[in-house]
Amino acid sequence: MTQILTTRMEAHPSDSHTLGRYEDTGGYAVLRTALAGMQPDAIVAEVKASNLRGRGGANFPCGVKWGFLAPSRPRYLVINGDESEPGTFKDRQLLERDPHQLIEGIILSAYALGVHHAFIYIRGEYPRPARRVQRAVEEAYGAGYLGRDILGSGFDLEVTVHLGAGAYICGEETALLNSLEGRRGEPRIKPPFPAVEGLYAKPTIVNNVETISNIPWIVGNGGAAYDAIGPEGSRGTRMFSLSGHVNQPGNYEVVMGMTWRDFIYGYGGGIRHGNALKAWIPGGASAPWFVEEHLDTPLTIDDVAKNRSMLGSGAVVVMDETTCMVKAALRVVRFFAHESCGQCTPCREGATWLQQVLTRIEAGAGRDIDLDLLLDISDNISPGLAWPPAMTTICPLGPSAVSPITSIATYFKDEVAAHVHGGGCPLG
Amino acid sequence: MTWDRRTEDRAAAIVGRYPEKRSAVMPLLYLAMAEDGYLSEDGMRRVAQLTGLSNAQVQGVASFYTMYKRDGVGEYLVSVCTSISCMLLGGDDVLDAVAAETGVADGETGEDGLFSVEHGECIGACGGAPALQVNYELIEGVTPDHGRALCRWLAENRPAVVRGDDLQERFGGRRSFDWGPVEAGGATGAVPAFGPLGTAGEGS
Amino acid sequence: MAEQPTLVTITVDGKPAQVPAGTLLIEAVKAAGVHIPHFCYHPRMKPVGMCRMCLIEVEGPRGMLLTTSCTTPVADGMAVHTESDTVKKAQEGVLEFLLLNHPLDCPVCDRGGECPLQDQTMACGPGESRMVEEKRHYPKPIPISDLVLLDRERCILCARCTRFSDEISGDPLIEFKGRGNAVEVNTFPDEPFASYFSGNTVQICPVGALTATPYRFRARPWDLEAVESTCPHCSVGCRISVQSSRNQVLRFMGVDNGPTNQGWLCDKGRFGFEYLGSPQRLAAPLIRNADGVLQEAAWSDALDLVAERLGALAAGGPDVVAGLGGARGTNEEAFAFGKFLRETLGTNNLDAQLGDGLDARLLAGITARGTIDDLERARTVLVWAPDLKEELPVLYLRVRRAATELGARLIVVHPRETGLDPVAAHTIRYRPGAGTELLRRLADGSGDLAEARRALGEGPVVAIVGRPGAGDDPRLAEAVLAFAAGLPGATLLPVTRRSNVYGAADMGLDPGLLPGRVAAPAGTGGRDAAGIIEGLIAGEVAGLVLLGADPVADYLEPARAAAALEAASFTVAIGLFLDESAAMADVVLPALGFAEVEGTVTNLEGRVQKVNRLLPGPAGARPTHEILEDIARRMGGSIGAASAEALAAEMAATAPAYAGITWEALSWGEGRRGIVAPGPAGSQPLVHAPEDHAPPPVGRNLVLHLARVLYDQGTLTQAGPSLAKLARPAAAHVHPEDATRFGIPAGATVRVTGSGGSVELPTVFDPSLVAGTVYLPLHCGASIGAGLEITMEAVS
Repeated sequence: MTQILTTRMEAHPSDSHTLGRYEDTGGYAVLRTALAGMQPDAIVAEVKASNLRGRGGANFPCGVKWGFLAPSRPRYLVINGDESEPGTFKDRQLLERDPHQLIEGIILSAYALGVHHAFIYIRGEYPRPARRVQRAVEEAYGAGYLGRDILGSGFDLEVTVHLGAGAYICGEETALLNSLEGRRGEPRIKPPFPAVEGLYAKPTIVNNVETISNIPWIVGNGGAAYDAIGPEGSRGTRMFSLSGHVNQPGNYEVVMGMTWRDFIYGYGGGIRHGNALKAWIPGGASAPWFVEEHLDTPLTIDDVAKNRSMLGSGAVVVMDETTCMVKAALRVVRFFAHESCGQCTPCREGATWLQQVLTRIEAGAGRDIDLDLLLDISDNISPGLAWPPAMTTICPLGPSAVSPITSIATYFKDEVAAHVHGGGCPLG
Repeated sequence: MTWDRRTEDRAAAIVGRYPEKRSAVMPLLYLAMAEDGYLSEDGMRRVAQLTGLSNAQVQGVASFYTMYKRDGVGEYLVSVCTSISCMLLGGDDVLDAVAAETGVADGETGEDGLFSVEHGECIGACGGAPALQVNYELIEGVTPDHGRALCRWLAENRPAVVRGDDLQERFGGRRSFDWGPVEAGGATGAVPAFGPLGTAGEGS
Repeated sequence: MAEQPTLVTITVDGKPAQVPAGTLLIEAVKAAGVHIPHFCYHPRMKPVGMCRMCLIEVEGPRGMLLTTSCTTPVADGMAVHTESDTVKKAQEGVLEFLLLNHPLDCPVCDRGGECPLQDQTMACGPGESRMVEEKRHYPKPIPISDLVLLDRERCILCARCTRFSDEISGDPLIEFKGRGNAVEVNTFPDEPFASYFSGNTVQICPVGALTATPYRFRARPWDLEAVESTCPHCSVGCRISVQSSRNQVLRFMGVDNGPTNQGWLCDKGRFGFEYLGSPQRLAAPLIRNADGVLQEAAWSDALDLVAERLGALAAGGPDVVAGLGGARGTNEEAFAFGKFLRETLGTNNLDAQLGDGLDARLLAGITARGTIDDLERARTVLVWAPDLKEELPVLYLRVRRAATELGARLIVVHPRETGLDPVAAHTIRYRPGAGTELLRRLADGSGDLAEARRALGEGPVVAIVGRPGAGDDPRLAEAVLAFAAGLPGATLLPVTRRSNVYGAADMGLDPGLLPGRVAAPAGTGGRDAAGIIEGLIAGEVAGLVLLGADPVADYLEPARAAAALEAASFTVAIGLFLDESAAMADVVLPALGFAEVEGTVTNLEGRVQKVNRLLPGPAGARPTHEILEDIARRMGGSIGAASAEALAAEMAATAPAYAGITWEALSWGEGRRGIVAPGPAGSQPLVHAPEDHAPPPVGRNLVLHLARVLYDQGTLTQAGPSLAKLARPAAAHVHPEDATRFGIPAGATVRVTGSGGSVELPTVFDPSLVAGTVYLPLHCGASIGAGLEITMEAVS
């Protein structure tokens, strides 16, 4: 079983986060080699060759993103540790249990990209991971891995750990940059993309924690070695956060390509109490739901996309037969309505309206026309209800609120109708 | 208004960590909260002075993020996650239990100022659902009974520092993953315990 | 001259169109005749794409892309669809979302009838709401300043107001607050939206969320009569729409004149019209009776008396009478006044200023004169002038734009902090009186001025130069201009505040000038304002004609002005109010004012613009040129003022710089943006050389910095209720070191004594001053004269 990210924390649960253990297990060796003998472009080439795709949700190829970096200076690298997508807790583990792996990845990436100041943006509700990372950063400064003239290479890098303060939208990279600039965390209009105009309007690369945690392995073993793992389009290993009605929730680092059945019933140990599976969210709360018919779909980025959903942030939330689909959908919509930044009209007004209508249906005050109304409101946020979604909004948060609506409308229409006609939930 | 020397020094250090001082707004808002126990108008004014923003701009930032509490907040802020994964495993019942035990409803602060209770949106503990936080220190695998016992214990013992590891040992259950060694760090108020902010959390 | 834009070809709804390159789609398709509905987009602010109303479809490599036309730049070959089913559905969806929580209280909304949201809803909105839930509720309008009310239920969160305050005016006192569905616009608690530019947010609000207190419930848009004109409050010359109902001006709206105000107004300009309808307006002539009391009289009696007395005095020889004023009216009035004084009264004692501006020969004859629009291309901007935010607010906006949006480096030289300091690359402070020395050091680039000097070496440079304080010698400004004239690509804007002072100079209201920017022949005598006042006191001048001038209040040594009027054997005051000077006159004649007469005015660039008539004015008041003509006729002459337009035609025919600048030319097409009068051939050189002004050192003595603030106790400001209450109370601004030196505790009262008197004032500590300087706001009820050296002592 190939493991890249979680080897150390599994082998050394008591101290995998410390500099001593990191160095003992080969940590920072890649950095030494790279700074001594690799040109920055060579690192970029390895990352491109690896076909590593971003692990934050959009799954955009990392090397391609790096290739967009505009030439002007200064430039910045920002690590997106604002993990907030419901169901997702993988970056928390990487931050807490192996922060030096991330830091080494940051240094290698910064060197490759000509960056001299990197930021690690960690969500505010993660003080413990932030403490671990902050301490690791201090250890790295003390050992000469950060600061001026790193390991005598002449390369300088400052790293600042920045805490969010409770706003899911800051996981969207341009909202994150606004937040890091001390502004309201409202997404920016793109283009310009951050690689051209990012932090302080300077060229900026924003990468997810898991993405950058892969960089030491890729540079150490070569991009080709990474590209040899897993199916095409879903190379490497990937952290999945499994939660909900499974017997064995948790984070799993897996090679993609297995079926959903293997993942949920194998890694997840099946459904609690031997209950039947009703639905699952395959890639975080933004993703349209899957149902039994998808169990034998391969767990790859492209296969999930072909089935009109996404692997997103790698969060799998499993719901068993006892789950009220209206209540589950409402809970997800409530999240997006709460987290809408409020700057653009369809998301600000539409997500709340969806929540209001669903609330009424759940409470037994639904009308026959309400499902059509929900779908039409959704259509005004995400025209055509297509996949990948079109949008009338600035960022994808609005369409995210639509996913649970289209999911219940597609698979659980009768259950919605039963709410309307039965004055509430038929499941009691 | 200015803070005491020690806090002002920390503030200056925070500003110094960023290429542009406006970026220091968020950590400075935490610092201001740690000073007053909540985010006061005076606190926002001082942050505005330190960052060159208007007071209204600082308020605009502060009011965007849920963790900046501009109204008074209890000594113990109990945030019970009720997002999808926790909801599926009984998060709503934990919230009800916490509210009943403390006598403080969701979104409110008790009259004695001991507890604030809120439902949280996903706190990244889905593998250990249902979960809650006390002053942002995480406890996973919480049953309604655990929630009640936790609040009782806080009310009786009034710890000055809330340590997540400690509370997890006492009142938690299944964790999302192995947390590793016990940490000494913890929170002294409704502010995330993070060393550079000057709040507790510098422990090993 | 505007450059011809490059054109690109796009397809709009299947039809090819040539549109300017580099524009946003929303503007490009407008050029092709297609209007796209929008709320957050404003052509003078950066697009944000927030309201989503302007969604259209653009053909792309991966099919149709729905995109906001306000954020997408046009590209050659682009194919856009503005009326497809998808676009219609999206736009209707956005409109429905905007209306979900809107109160639909149009019948009681000031904006009703001119509301973009209402218009759009009427055009293609839903018949009724599909939302059965309760709408968002907020307390109905809350005052967020003395002038502006906020109704958050009507607000559609387009952020035009907050962006204006942040980007354009630089005083972000209103901001979004909260998140998601709970976002609202608001101020910080107890910190009102006290911006000098707040009225602009009311004008650009696309709904009735922001309303102006002075206009609230006063009229419906369809009842308003409107005429385009030029703001009369300062010399920037902002283009406005004057709007009235039942012969009462109810509001000014900014008109987007690209070269000047770009649509913006300051609040003093916007709300300062109320004086026109003041019950204090003079409505009948007044004659001082045997008991020494001013008493209402018939026009014929008053004119007879004036003609008789002035005629008798003028018969005693040349230059026995004098005229002050003419800088607040039209060029036609100033032209008539000059003819009246010179031809009818045979005097060359005339001055439109009161010794508080710059030499009129400089204003009329400056070489390398710039335009405000030069700021759009400036690399470096030097402002050694009054605090523009206080005195020429919209020029402040244009300089601020140059510094923040266009990348110009700004150098501000002033005795204390100014509104522009936050965006300046260099702020240089000096003690009044030490300006000449500072100029020498700046020219040398010595010491800490090296960086600023280097910046001044990189053109094009725009130099905005005036008297930072009333106590600064005008010759200093001339020396600064002389220095600036030598900078690379330099254009010069000598600035002084009074609205038509440039026009008055161009009309020859100065002993040294004739109409049309022509120097008076060498050897021409005549007294300027100071000469007239001292002449009256000395008995060398006997009669005085005041035209919209109030020297007793506005002359920098008010006590001297009062003594002069006391000494005058006959004074006639023509104006709108019984101001302090008119109250001392023998005859007072009520004149028509702004919006009551037609004419032209000239701004600080030398740009001539039209002002237009909308109101009859008070029944007993008459146009100035008619009053002057009637007096002249009674004296057996005429100034040929058959009408204002006839005067304008005479000016255009005889005043060289105004050749061809007729009302007709100013009323149509490009002429409505104003015509910059060309400097006459052989412009006068600068009047004074730098070395002309070397004041004696003042050492450790205190010096006075006396400068205007926007809201003062001036007659016109005080005659309108909206602005009167904003007047700043007088205070002595003292440097903390001086407070220590003079033993003045914080908040203490001090006695300040200057060249013209003594006054007791509360103190404010002002560390932005150079120690040894005391700053007093001018016209705030505390006059001590303008002499540089003062004394100060604590009053227990």
